[in-house]
Amino acid sequence: MVKVVNSTVIRAPIDAVWHVLRDFNGHDRWHPAVDISQIERGRRSDMVGCVRSFKLADGSALREQLLALSDSQTSFSYCLLDTPVPLLNYVAHVELIPVTDGDRTFWRWQAEFSTPRGMQDELVDLVGNGIQIAGFEAIREITEGAAQAANLS
Amino acid sequence: MARVYTSSVINGSAQAVWDQVRDFNGLPKWHPSIADSRIEDGLAADQVGCIRDFHLQNGDQIREQLLGLSDYDMTCTYSILISPMPLTDYVATLRLTPITDGDRCFAEWSADFDCAAEDEEDLVTGIGNDVFQAGFDALKRHFGG
Repeated sequence: MVKVVNSTVIRAPIDAVWHVLRDFNGHDRWHPAVDISQIERGRRSDMVGCVRSFKLADGSALREQLLALSDSQTSFSYCLLDTPVPLLNYVAHVELIPVTDGDRTFWRWQAEFSTPRGMQDELVDLVGNGIQIAGFEAIREITEGAAQAANLS
Repeated sequence: MARVYTSSVINGSAQAVWDQVRDFNGLPKWHPSIADSRIEDGLAADQVGCIRDFHLQNGDQIREQLLGLSDYDMTCTYSILISPMPLTDYVATLRLTPITDGDRCFAEWSADFDCAAEDEEDLVTGIGNDVFQAGFDALKRHFGG
């Protein structure tokens, strides 16, 4: 079992960041790795237990299930159900916390999983850089730009 | 129950900032409002249950008891035993979390307490600004930003 944790500070209010992140089906609109996504069985994307079925830019298909969603804790957890990449027993947790000093947002993204022998380094890099840090940068671009525009207007 | 929550970003590693703040008797070394401090009964400052007896710059005396200290989670929890503030059942926690993006950390300082309704706003604002944010500002200056 390996644990990959990354964290950053987004220069935007927590409500703006949470508004984008809480939609479990919205990652195809912001995460650069995700091409298209849909929630199975016509469920709402904030119904705990719903499954998102999505494709990456290279066409590979994945399914992830929402395990927990909290507006009061501004956090959610999910697990991988099907994946072409051998990320085993993969559970991820996203948490936002307000930075009151400057109206910013602290964002912590954690994933725990097992890997086949010999693939750990490659998969840790994929999750840490390809998923978490790439996601930070995409959200930073969307929300910090909007926060800056709001301050100027 | 009233609640105060203040958080900031300090430009030092969580470990470096923790080294500064984990000393329950060390407030005068980094917090600008604190004039002096001693631990009662000759206990060590990291002995859970110990009591610090300290004075603010204005002369007010406060006694606080260490309820929990974790070098693993980088948290320090304490209660107020005696203070001039009109509040009861005050429990506060200072927590540091590493920020992997850059050599800095996320610092949170929160408190829960009971008080008369008419005192709540002043207490929440005063503790949040004069104690918690003032402490963060001092740490930010110490660690350069």
